[in-house]
Amino acid sequence: MNRLNALPTLQIDPSRKISFIYRNKQYYGVEGDTVATALYSNGIRIFARSLKYHRPRGIYSLDGECSNTCMEVDGIPNVRCENTLLKDGMIVKEQNVVGSLENDRMSFIDKIDWMMPAGFYYSTMHKPAKIWPIAMKQIRKVAGLGVLSPEFKMTGKYDEIFPTADVCVIGGGPAGMSAALEASDKGLRVILLESRSVLGGFFEYRSHEYKEGQSYHDRAKELSAQVEGAEKIRVFTNASMIGTYNNNLVTGFQIGGKNDSFDERYMEIRAISVIVATGCIERPLLFENNERPGIMQMGCALRMAHTYGLVPGDTAVFSIGHDLGIETAICLHDLGVKIACVADIRKSGQASKLVAQLTERNIPFLTGWVATKAHGKKHIKKVTLATLEGRQPTNYDCDLLVASAGLTPLTSGITVAKGTVKYDGHTGCFLPDKMPAKMYAAGRIMGFDDALSIESSGRLAGCRAALDCEACSTTELSDAKNQLDGLPDPAAGCKLVIAPVEGRKSFICFDEDTTIKNINQAIEKGFDVPELIKRFTSAGTGPGQGGIPGHNLPLYVAKYQGMSDVSIRSTNVRPPVIPTLIATYAGSNHSMFKRTPMDEMQRNDGGIFRNIGVWQRARYFSSDLSCKNEIENVRSNVGILDGSTLGKFRIFGPDAVKALERVFVSDISKIKEGRIKYSAMCNDDGCVIDDGVLIKQGENDYYFTTSTGRAGSTIEWIRYHTRYDDWDFHMVNLTDSMGVINLSGPNARKVLEKIVDIDMSNTAFGFSEYKEFQLDSTIPVRCMRLGFVGELSYELHVPSSYMKTVWLMLGEAGKEYNIQNFGVEAQNVLRMEKCHIILGQESEQRTNLLDVGLGFLWNRNKTEAKTVGAVALRQAENDQTRLKLVAFKMENKGRAPRDGALIVDKKVRGYICTARDSFTLKEGVGMALVEGDLSKNGTRLEIYEDECGDDRIYGEVVPMPLYDPKGIRMKM
Amino acid sequence: MFSKQKPLWGKKKKLKSSYDVVLIGGGLHNLATAYYLAKEHGITDIAIIEKNYIGYGGAGRNTAIVRANQRTQHNVPLYKEALDLWPVLTKELDFNLMFNNCGNLNLLHSEAAMKAARMTIATAQFHGVESHLIDAKEAKKLVPSLNISDDITFPIHGAMFHPPGGIVRHDAVVWGLAKGAAQYGAEIHQQTEALAIGTKDGKVTSVTTSEGVINTKQVLISAGAYSAGLISGMLGIKLPISVLTIQAMVTQPLKPLLNHVVSSGAYHCYANQTLKGEIATGAHMDPWPNYTTLSTAHFIKHQAEALSEFLPCLKGLRFMRIWGGLADMTPDMAPILDGNDQFEGFFMNCGWGYFGFKSCSVAGKYMAEFMATNKCPDILKPFALKRYEEHKLMGETAALVNYSPDN
Repeated sequence: MNRLNALPTLQIDPSRKISFIYRNKQYYGVEGDTVATALYSNGIRIFARSLKYHRPRGIYSLDGECSNTCMEVDGIPNVRCENTLLKDGMIVKEQNVVGSLENDRMSFIDKIDWMMPAGFYYSTMHKPAKIWPIAMKQIRKVAGLGVLSPEFKMTGKYDEIFPTADVCVIGGGPAGMSAALEASDKGLRVILLESRSVLGGFFEYRSHEYKEGQSYHDRAKELSAQVEGAEKIRVFTNASMIGTYNNNLVTGFQIGGKNDSFDERYMEIRAISVIVATGCIERPLLFENNERPGIMQMGCALRMAHTYGLVPGDTAVFSIGHDLGIETAICLHDLGVKIACVADIRKSGQASKLVAQLTERNIPFLTGWVATKAHGKKHIKKVTLATLEGRQPTNYDCDLLVASAGLTPLTSGITVAKGTVKYDGHTGCFLPDKMPAKMYAAGRIMGFDDALSIESSGRLAGCRAALDCEACSTTELSDAKNQLDGLPDPAAGCKLVIAPVEGRKSFICFDEDTTIKNINQAIEKGFDVPELIKRFTSAGTGPGQGGIPGHNLPLYVAKYQGMSDVSIRSTNVRPPVIPTLIATYAGSNHSMFKRTPMDEMQRNDGGIFRNIGVWQRARYFSSDLSCKNEIENVRSNVGILDGSTLGKFRIFGPDAVKALERVFVSDISKIKEGRIKYSAMCNDDGCVIDDGVLIKQGENDYYFTTSTGRAGSTIEWIRYHTRYDDWDFHMVNLTDSMGVINLSGPNARKVLEKIVDIDMSNTAFGFSEYKEFQLDSTIPVRCMRLGFVGELSYELHVPSSYMKTVWLMLGEAGKEYNIQNFGVEAQNVLRMEKCHIILGQESEQRTNLLDVGLGFLWNRNKTEAKTVGAVALRQAENDQTRLKLVAFKMENKGRAPRDGALIVDKKVRGYICTARDSFTLKEGVGMALVEGDLSKNGTRLEIYEDECGDDRIYGEVVPMPLYDPKGIRMKM
Repeated sequence: MFSKQKPLWGKKKKLKSSYDVVLIGGGLHNLATAYYLAKEHGITDIAIIEKNYIGYGGAGRNTAIVRANQRTQHNVPLYKEALDLWPVLTKELDFNLMFNNCGNLNLLHSEAAMKAARMTIATAQFHGVESHLIDAKEAKKLVPSLNISDDITFPIHGAMFHPPGGIVRHDAVVWGLAKGAAQYGAEIHQQTEALAIGTKDGKVTSVTTSEGVINTKQVLISAGAYSAGLISGMLGIKLPISVLTIQAMVTQPLKPLLNHVVSSGAYHCYANQTLKGEIATGAHMDPWPNYTTLSTAHFIKHQAEALSEFLPCLKGLRFMRIWGGLADMTPDMAPILDGNDQFEGFFMNCGWGYFGFKSCSVAGKYMAEFMATNKCPDILKPFALKRYEEHKLMGETAALVNYSPDN
């Protein structure tokens, strides 16, 4: 197809060919083409088959408001070809057809639409019940549009940016550009988003006169040159707004061009003020077969010619309700299209200049007429026009029908931010009503039709936004207001909702194949509000995000029910207002785990890492996941573990003790310097939420540890529980600045002694004691003698930057003993044998401090502060029905059950927390939470494992701890 | 299917001045209660009072997933019965609820998660509910698009596979139950707001609505996330419920790709394909209590980040629509079902969090029995409000939860 190539408005370069593949054949488009316009230039007229009835669909709006041109492009389904820029080598395929787009074997369904009234699936296919699974399979097959392969791999670069601005302007048309210029003139930083590839909006593609000697297109160029020359305006073209949120957060995405480093990028813009200048789309005209290929909206037909140089038809009929239709007819006539008739729905109100131009060209012009039916199977062949009352039906042959009820504002940018719109009886549009704070509407979206009013409203919005940014005086604002007041108000609009037809094939929603008849059926069934009708008929829930039915649906429902103008409500629009790729939303998708200072060395030592909360930690050091060697090495020699993820805090100040007493169950005031106190925190239900050790470093100065998982919320927890007390204390989270090395095993002392200067003997530094010293007179170390794994054990708290050094020193010192790493799993088994609990493993929501055997920590006589959880603990003290933590051994030296197995009789009576075949004890042992009456020593536990069928295994409750009951080894 | 359309839940009626039972809230739980009150107990003089339209709240805002793989023995039998009821209700109501029992696959990303799942699976199996622990390779066989490699943030260790679960068309359940209840004579009053409950001598006497006062001896509040506020405002009963927004979204429709519901706790993400072909996905609640249904920018981004890791082919799909609903969270993730305690004739059914959809039928069935007999059925006894006073939580989640603003 030859392109028109002498038009000033063209956005294509016909001299630069771009090749692509469609249906395995090579085709050519030109630079600037969208996929759809390139196909159109190759004679393709059917771009899709509709969801339900497989009706042929063609180019209708060019703005992607429906799935009419959805195809598969480069393996990606549901691509809106009409606004996807053509790229070299693209592979384009049709979707949702059996056969080809031209001859779709599923198209017979269009004839049996009578079998499928609104919501028919709710009243069919379930009797008898056994047909449903078969029917469902078929439904799944026919539903959905495109195909995505499970092996599909997305290529390309997806980026994300988070810019800020004083003012964010959405829409780069005349109003948006005027607003941006106004704000930038006042010294503000402006971001301007335009979804098309060039600025100019509604002016950009029109050759008609803006003012004497200047076309709309020229004016658009003039404005965009000013915008692009303005230093403080950052322009993003090919950038669509997809959401607006509280506090003026605007999200969007930009499609990258040839010279960009990204294919698409997610944008999140934070601005003080937002201006929505998204203009209008067209309200589809409702008549029989209103979506046949060859039927286009006004702007679509005009842009086909002016932007892409494509003649949209040979013989055209117009059924329109806005002057843009007349203008389009004139333009197409002048480009050689035969205009058979222009039927204007409006009986009056047309611009006389335009009407005169029609007359000059001998174009038949009817007023008060409308299209009632399109004819032609795969493409329009003729159209029936009639009066608004349906009289004098007359057929006109044509291959192009330009049909549009008029313009309708694109208000999604306002409504998704919870602004409201209101039906306006004068324009027949939903106009912005209540605006969110610091958000303003500008231009055609407010109903303005006059070019100067549109620009002026943009400047006014720019002033309002500038006022929010304290960059505009009230005089300037009122000047801008006065200027707009002196310009034409919005013009009366076309209010026709539907042509005089029955509506069996009048499609209110193209994507879901919802007809006017379906809407009638829904209303008769009792679905009387648009939001319910939407759910029942699916109208507006398709890939086009409701762009086609958005305004017609509420208008039609109101008309059907005879409602007054004021009670007409549109349905909700939801983000993303333009369908957005998951790849784009994901952006660069980086994961952010914290790594301990020992991370690299531990990985080099063969550590197998796991995610633990916000951290990654070495869980195993060999492929033997039972960790036999690691465990036996700690029990008989010496092992070293990186415990840096522990929560570490300093709390100090005159009221530090009070704060600690509030959240810890123990009496903190009794802690002596040089001693370690193990304690726990409970929530209001008495459940243990954390445990750790406390050290008194000085008067009113404590250092304490928490579990890894709680470190992030500890400070908030203490603050929350002291929020009414006005106590004077301070907290420092040292979790990241301190590392922890755990040195455990009977040879631990011998290793440590080699690198420290102080007396490490059991008498000088006993169990449960704490010392501070320096290594090499340089590295400060806080050292605690603990026994979590049940052996002689030292926990060294070292500044993170020295961790590697100290680790290497210990490694060197431990060489002669063959010191070995051990990981989290080995520690887990070692401490389990000792019956030391890990919160979350041996405790849960139903267990409190007493249940897990830590009641001895609770000081019942605390005076000054109430302890969080104490009330609940008192209540639970004598309750025998609660779960209790017990230790058990397997009967007859049987294997240990799997973690999570149940303790049962006729009911579930508890479950296994941790159990292992102990290398140390040479039998299966573990800990379990069981109901109180099963907790006595000697009780036989019936264990039910997943997939065990009727088989059970048995254990017996035994005293805690399982290993070294007298605690000799950790005190040696 | 070819006959003239009739209103599904009867013609609009004028509110009477008295009913045997008043149900506040036109959502799934009350529609089910009305249905069972009428069908099982012959109580048909019922008014359902709905401020907006039926199914306005959680009923229409969930992602329609049903399952019976809860954690404790108090919950599993309840959800099992609910699961078994879908085909029964489809038949009884003569309304296709479109139960797709495609099975739920819950991905596990750590040894700890495998342990927790094993307990849940054992509990399910002990109660006769099918559920299995499978490894990553088996999971991949079920869901070929799954990424089971190690190079993602949360590598997949295995999964809990629960074949009897699936998805049900949520709107169909609303309309089907409304139809069923109305056929027995229950009246549905939409655009009618309940304003107050009148009591005398500790007994319920009336309900004041925007359309007039109703005399009644029994009233049930089951208004989803609005329940706690209504109960506190009308009767001064404070419930340990925090209301949080929960968001969900769908992609553009697609030919069959996912044959199971796939969920992941670590990624805070689940996905399933609706019969229409959309991938519906959602996850955890917003971390702050509020009564709005606003969606947030970061939530949908998070979902995209999660999906693009464990179901990487979905990168080529487009999100189409996100919406928010409300979840009424109790401290133990288990609901509050109670009655005739604080006031004679006052019943409540709330605190379902995000489990309100899957439980609606069975909760309605037993609340109906409770109201008709004035005796609490055994299966509901563990859900009484007093468990919180006694600090005896139900353990539906293993981890401790805190939904208050401080955390």
